[in-house]
Amino acid sequence: MSLLTQLTVNGLIAGSIYALVASGFSLIYGTNRFMHFAHGISVVIAGYILYSLFTVWKIPIVLSIFITLVLSGIFGLGIYRLIYLPLQNKKASNVILLMASIAILILFQNLIQAFYGADIKTIGYIKVGKGLSFLGAVITKLQIAIIIVSLLLLISLYFFMKKAKLGRDMRAVSDNKELASIVGINQRRVSDYSFILGSALAGVAGVLIALEQNLEPAMGTTLIIKGFTGAVIGGISYVPASVLGSYILGVAENYGIWFLPSGYKDAIAFVLLFIFLLFRPSGLFGLKRRAA
Amino acid sequence: MISPYVIHLLILIGIYVILSVSLNLALGYAGLLNLGHVALFGIGAYTSTLLTMNGVPFVISFLLAGLTASFFGFLLILATRKLQGDYYALATLGFAFVVYSLFLNLTDLTRGPLGIPGIPKPNLFGFVIGSNLQYLLFVAVLVLVSVYSIRTVVESPFGRLLEAMRDDELGLRVLGKNTKMLKYKSMMISAFFAGISGSLFAHYISFIDPSTFYINELILIITIVIVGGIASLKGSIVAPFVIILIPEALRFLSLPSSILGPARQIIYALVLLFILMYKPRGLYGKIDLE
Repeated sequence: MSLLTQLTVNGLIAGSIYALVASGFSLIYGTNRFMHFAHGISVVIAGYILYSLFTVWKIPIVLSIFITLVLSGIFGLGIYRLIYLPLQNKKASNVILLMASIAILILFQNLIQAFYGADIKTIGYIKVGKGLSFLGAVITKLQIAIIIVSLLLLISLYFFMKKAKLGRDMRAVSDNKELASIVGINQRRVSDYSFILGSALAGVAGVLIALEQNLEPAMGTTLIIKGFTGAVIGGISYVPASVLGSYILGVAENYGIWFLPSGYKDAIAFVLLFIFLLFRPSGLFGLKRRAA
Repeated sequence: MISPYVIHLLILIGIYVILSVSLNLALGYAGLLNLGHVALFGIGAYTSTLLTMNGVPFVISFLLAGLTASFFGFLLILATRKLQGDYYALATLGFAFVVYSLFLNLTDLTRGPLGIPGIPKPNLFGFVIGSNLQYLLFVAVLVLVSVYSIRTVVESPFGRLLEAMRDDELGLRVLGKNTKMLKYKSMMISAFFAGISGSLFAHYISFIDPSTFYINELILIITIVIVGGIASLKGSIVAPFVIILIPEALRFLSLPSSILGPARQIIYALVLLFILMYKPRGLYGKIDLE
């Protein structure tokens, strides 16, 4: 019993991080209709910015986190304006944008590695404390915070998309581009904000990872595959669906350790991604007409 | 005579010529946006390595490397035949990730992240290709054979059909052509040459590990093909020289080795971004990538 709860808890923690990555990715995909694969590096950059601000320059943690999130949003906007938008203006296909996106991921991953080195960095904000016991599972306070912060953010994102003017514009564009522009929604503005907001969400994921785990330059690829897989499992262009998909992935990966050696943890995500892309590209909760 | 350093570079360039010409067959001519080519390269490398190290003669291992990769190319098309556009590209990328995690986790076979050292030099019916100069000649012959074969393919009526499929798949189907079969055949030919270049790579470097066949290498291969130009064999022959040689200039800057590796990748990524943004047809490309 305790093993089952422990695996579930671990799955929820992993799922929370994936959900933050996936929600930003889906937000950007929904409004722009191309795969922003470099989203994974936004997470890593946020982690390293926090490391510089808090660990190296000793700026208070709250201020450090705030600056990190602002910079993450600006990074996303910069990538959109400097690379994706010029490409789109030249009528580049989605495949070109995908390749450009992979190039951006590799570019920044290696810039980070050249600048910070390939070794692991730790923030060291919270000393590793004794975990709390919960139904036979051990969970640290920080891990509880991760789950709560993610849930609160994702719920507010849901209401933002449902109620706020900008959120409704985003959904409108995601639903039907032509119709949205006919009723006077400014597409450029919606795209700008989707990149800012999506990348800031990636920034939150980066901050949480930096606080709880170690930072490594190469972690961006794995993170975007996880976030992307979560999004595909749920339904790529619908944010709540991709969030659910991410939690399913987190839990599935951890239950998988029951049957497989732990080295296969990442492989579970890859295989699920492949299976869903082939047999159900619209995801479990996505709309059927989205199928490619 | 030629310096050992130049010989080393020429061998690598030769291997990348086979790799990029074969990718261009699938990507440029048949319009199959295969981001999993690097995995086929890896499958060839591992197949040939494991077979020769278990006593199978090199010539047979070499051919089986190509055939095994070809078989995986068949599976890849079988699995992805209904997908299109960026979904197809991502599924092939997913395939590359699955193969990578198999290399990493089938530790009994591949030794996982430790990699396989001490891969023997090729033994051609008793003649061991020991020196690098001999290896260069060996690679050069295979480059000629591969490029000639692929050129024959793309200039044949079959090649014309591939280009027609790339430009208008539905139109070709209306004319009663079996486009699925075209996809299978072109991908299997492409994968065969990716497999043998993997074998050449493994037996030359004499060490392989999973990270050699992952996303960094993928960027390199894609960059070469895009820089050379889509559907241009000439481009895929010239571009490896350009792309492999550019980062070699870094050696003269005497950078520390911890910077050298990332710097190389930064250059590849920047070149790819630059080409995509400002010169999407590359050096000799005939058509735009769609």
